[in-house]
Amino acid sequence: MATLSLFAVQASASAGASSDPDTLARGAYLARAGDCVACHTAPDGKPFAGGLAIESPFGTIYSTNITPDTHAGIGGYTEQEFAAALRQGKRADGANLYPAMPYPSYARLTDEDVHALYVYFMHGVEPVEHQPEQTDLSFPFDQRWGITAWNWLFVDQSTFTPTPSSDAEVNRGRYLVQGLGHCGSCHTPRGLFQQEKALNEEDGSEYLSGANLNGWWAPSLRGQPADEEGAKVSGLAGWSRDDIAEYLATGRNAHSAVGGEMTSVIANSTSHLSEQDLTAIAAYLKTLPAEGSTRGNDSDATGVAKESSTEQTLTRATGLDAGARLYLDNCNACHFASGTGAPRVFPSLVGNSLVNAENPTGLIHTILAGAQLPSTPKNPERLMMPGFAWRLSNQEVAALATFVRAGWGNTGGAVSAEQVKDVRETLNEQPGYSGAPTRYGAKTSAEHATDNQTPSPSKD
Amino acid sequence: MTTTKPGVDAVIIGLGWTGSIMGMELTDAGLDVLALERGEDRTKEDFLYPKPADELKYGVRLSMMQRPRQATVTIRRNQNEMAAPQRHWTTFHPGNGVGGAGAHWTGVLYRATPTELSMKRFADETFEPGFLPDNMNIQDYGVTYEELEPHYDFFEKVAGLSGQAGNVQGALIEGGNPFEGPRQNPFPLPPLPRTLTDTLFTDATRKLGWHPYPYPSANVSEAWTNPYGMQLGPCNFCGYCSNYGCLNYSKASPQTCVLDALKRRDNFSYRTQCEVTRIVKSDDGQTVKGVLYTDGDGNEIFQPARLVILAAFPINSVRLLLLSEVGKPYDPVSNTGVVGRNFTYQLTGSVDMYFKRHRFNPFINAGGSGQVIDDFSPDTFDTARHGFIGGAYIYTTQGPSGAIGGVKVPPGSPSWGSEWKANAKAHYGHHMMLGSTGSNMAYRDVYLDLDPTYRDPNGDPLLRMTYDWKENDLKMTQFMGDRMRDIVGELKPDYHTESIKRVGDHFDPSHYQSTHLTGGAIMGTDPNTSVVNRYLQHWDAHNLFVLGASAFPQNMQHNPTGTVAALTYWSAKHIRERYLENPGPLMSAQG
Amino acid sequence: MTDQPNNWQRRTFMRQSFLTIPAISAVASVPLSAWAQDDTPPLSEYYPRFFEPQEWAFILAATDRLIPADDNGPGAIAAHVPVFIDQELAGDYGNASDWYMDGPFLSDLPAEFGYQLPHTPAAVYRLGIKATHVYCQRQYGTSFAALDKAQQITVLEALEAGEIDFNALGVADLPSQSFFAFLLQNTKEGFFADPIYGGNRHMAGWKLLGFPGARANFLEWVDQYDRPYPLGPVSLKGLQNR
Repeated sequence: MATLSLFAVQASASAGASSDPDTLARGAYLARAGDCVACHTAPDGKPFAGGLAIESPFGTIYSTNITPDTHAGIGGYTEQEFAAALRQGKRADGANLYPAMPYPSYARLTDEDVHALYVYFMHGVEPVEHQPEQTDLSFPFDQRWGITAWNWLFVDQSTFTPTPSSDAEVNRGRYLVQGLGHCGSCHTPRGLFQQEKALNEEDGSEYLSGANLNGWWAPSLRGQPADEEGAKVSGLAGWSRDDIAEYLATGRNAHSAVGGEMTSVIANSTSHLSEQDLTAIAAYLKTLPAEGSTRGNDSDATGVAKESSTEQTLTRATGLDAGARLYLDNCNACHFASGTGAPRVFPSLVGNSLVNAENPTGLIHTILAGAQLPSTPKNPERLMMPGFAWRLSNQEVAALATFVRAGWGNTGGAVSAEQVKDVRETLNEQPGYSGAPTRYGAKTSAEHATDNQTPSPSKD
Repeated sequence: MTTTKPGVDAVIIGLGWTGSIMGMELTDAGLDVLALERGEDRTKEDFLYPKPADELKYGVRLSMMQRPRQATVTIRRNQNEMAAPQRHWTTFHPGNGVGGAGAHWTGVLYRATPTELSMKRFADETFEPGFLPDNMNIQDYGVTYEELEPHYDFFEKVAGLSGQAGNVQGALIEGGNPFEGPRQNPFPLPPLPRTLTDTLFTDATRKLGWHPYPYPSANVSEAWTNPYGMQLGPCNFCGYCSNYGCLNYSKASPQTCVLDALKRRDNFSYRTQCEVTRIVKSDDGQTVKGVLYTDGDGNEIFQPARLVILAAFPINSVRLLLLSEVGKPYDPVSNTGVVGRNFTYQLTGSVDMYFKRHRFNPFINAGGSGQVIDDFSPDTFDTARHGFIGGAYIYTTQGPSGAIGGVKVPPGSPSWGSEWKANAKAHYGHHMMLGSTGSNMAYRDVYLDLDPTYRDPNGDPLLRMTYDWKENDLKMTQFMGDRMRDIVGELKPDYHTESIKRVGDHFDPSHYQSTHLTGGAIMGTDPNTSVVNRYLQHWDAHNLFVLGASAFPQNMQHNPTGTVAALTYWSAKHIRERYLENPGPLMSAQG
Repeated sequence: MTDQPNNWQRRTFMRQSFLTIPAISAVASVPLSAWAQDDTPPLSEYYPRFFEPQEWAFILAATDRLIPADDNGPGAIAAHVPVFIDQELAGDYGNASDWYMDGPFLSDLPAEFGYQLPHTPAAVYRLGIKATHVYCQRQYGTSFAALDKAQQITVLEALEAGEIDFNALGVADLPSQSFFAFLLQNTKEGFFADPIYGGNRHMAGWKLLGFPGARANFLEWVDQYDRPYPLGPVSLKGLQNR
């Protein structure tokens, strides 16, 4: 036994020994479910120490330090003050938080969960004595009292109560989706005052009906069926409960792979949730009928009416237009002539919501910058799609995107070089995954170097 | 000045297949594990399309390989010659960097046959006394097929092995290899689609009464999620396979199958550009206490560790054991000592056929695509009648894939000028190859030691390889040449050329032969004839385990990776289940 | 460690949440145009990095003989093979940066031992061209480049056969066939390597063979037996030639 200890794992030191470990663990779990870390951590910053810059037309909003440091963080908060911040957007000094904080959703949290979160943030998080930059908006947006009116209009202050007609699983899913998950922040369209048009399904069928985020389409999570034109599917009509749970756990399933903002949600939040909770979320989402429909979303059939001429053309590899040729030269390796890729590895382009979105920004961005799946406990592999910004001109990307949006029965509209140019200009602020080759043994110091022999890297 | 780092439970030397696998197993067991890799880091970002599709960089300049300037080997054919260094790689391609050879391999994933693991016993039972030459040093592995089977099975799931089983739990299956050992499960995935060369080969060998089957391929045929949650995507026959990193997540490698899972673990870390120069012995004479390495900035560092896993490429493992003076070096004169003993290689032959009537599109290929017969394995026919022990598999695969390496012109025709150019154009896409990959027995005067003349940049002697082809193995290759001629007779090409070694030929390292370098730190049950015991544990230092094909007592016909991986899991199982609780020798010298 | 939040997406998403007017965009960055044909300058405007003018004249002439332009399409000159060789020799390859180049050099070993000369590839060219120049001066009274095509072919054949004694021409430890072997190998590399390396311009070498270059995906063609592959090549940079 003495020798066994030679190889024993070192137990990691726990920061907060004073609170009961079960509550602490539950608080940590709930903080995952709320994805608090995403907004309250600066790039390369310490977890929860705040300082993430959120740009708005009114000025830059900086997220706050929510570590238990008494000066820079929330170490001085009582549980009541903590609860008020979480649910009502009220700071300990009574000032309003900007509604970048999803307190309209967190208002749903039960007292028990607020308590667990409080215990976690007080005892489970390393205090960081770092004062993030202060938010400094110009008049009139610096007048935080204006938010009071906004809150009065748009925030429902009631905590969650189970819906009697639903079973316990659906109610658990409803609680997670509407509360900590704050899924509506992205997936529900916003109104004139940037309020979510509905905070739950009783509030209106626009709840989780899909929204445009900086040009990226955050798809409907309702039972949106395929429309009559063919392949265009939005919503989760074609996904089974298991498909949804798998997607949330891993960022990939037989139909799709995650891209854009949802990538980080899966990496930091949903991939850490229990299978039971993910199944509950799936169960709840499958109760949401298509927007404007009263029928439940119990179908698992995909609505894709795939047509075969695109596949035939690509397989024949003759008589190709520019877009088809570019597809063979850049995309076919993984997505294949069928356009369907391979389950969980190469996402299908057929009926894909990113491909078919009305606004092609997300698709263009993905072609230019590439994408990377998050590493999750269940599927740790960071599968990457290379970006092609270094290889394709705006005209080429436009031709390619137009081809993909029209192929295999897809119904997205044509894409212009001008649209590609606009997206390309945003690339420098975001990481990409470039396949740009480097030559064997090229020397850079030569006097007569001919730069045109080497491709320009996309960035960095 | 040597800096000493904080100690770890286990240090792994080399982060290729065996290092990655052992990393998973030991971190699973709760150990704090550090891997030291001599080469650069390689992630899948290095393999993003189209980066790998660069024949000059990877296929010709061999950028995935160990740099000879860093360390090469010297080669001679016999003890009377002076050995000369491989100044740039020709005869084999040792990998370098994270992923090791597992990142640039071809993806042919075989098991050993039950016979190949117990070759000495088979020989004793099969051949008349005196049949085998006196200087042949063949031995049993000390581990049986039945013992390794579960580990083969698991690794095949890790790699997403694609193909057709021939023997599942004793039941022979049409279309598979009927000569393989019984497997508990069918292949995880179906075979890759068939190329034209595959179909021609299958038809011809069937007519000859043989048993063609698809290459067992670790370039996967369908999407696959392995037991670590890692994922592979279907191979698209891109043509950039052996010598290249895979651009499509299709080739099983440490990158696609293990590393992202391993890197998530808090008790695992790795350092690149760290070249281990010595394994350091303890004063107790029974253990080692860590390793000395040089980091990327040239600092010398001592890394203490309770367990040392040597997971380098076989020739590098043998050299490090010799430099570290762990284990007695082999002496060919007295046939005593062990380190460097039983170095073996692979006996290959090939035939190239030209068909005006066929168009093969040779750039369409996958490393693991092809068709094979095992009808001439060591135990499937009467080799004694033909004067040898051993065997080979005969195969075809579509190719060659590149343009620089893809040009073939008729024998005797010019190698430049207009006529060459016309021939290059006319003949491209009309060639089909046949190959034989065969066993190599171990011999008393074939071995590895330290070179007395040539040194690496640290001033350490290079490894010296004393190697030649022997009559037994050349007879075997000749026999396989005759069988390939049988296939040529069926297929009736317009012409064909042969590259088949003859008795009396001497080893020619100026051309590529194979990267299957095996032996030199072999496993066994007798410390007088093996470096490691049947658990890959060093006989002279019980906390040192030496993984890899250096453990093979002699080389088998089949490609080594499957057996290398299975032995790693086998070794890990005994470390986890027995050694950690009770560190010490896992078996006594008596067996 | 492995789960650092990827905050850029959150940042842009939040910005959008508040954004009602489109951002004012800066002047467009210049996109690469891969669809356009290769824009490398003509050979006459190329300044060699490694070769001296006289050496350059030899390389131009010699590669033109090794892979001539003819009925089967462009040759080494149109494909910019000399540019390839020049750039390779100026870099890691020319300097044998990866090779083991410590002595002793046993140059009288049988050919099976592979390359055992004491020279880097760059030095092989420097010395080989020099010796060939001295040979041509003695034999023909002029430089290699000034010979007619038939004479050039005769000289190259003599180099290939090892019939020119470089030692007698003042260059030690370099058999003429070794020099020729480098020249021929690198010429073919320059004809068939990706255009990123300066040669294979307009993918002329690939077009000769019907090799599709860096396309690297053919799943749909595995079972299309005996059918010529119809598509022209694509290069690493995405250049196409039909």
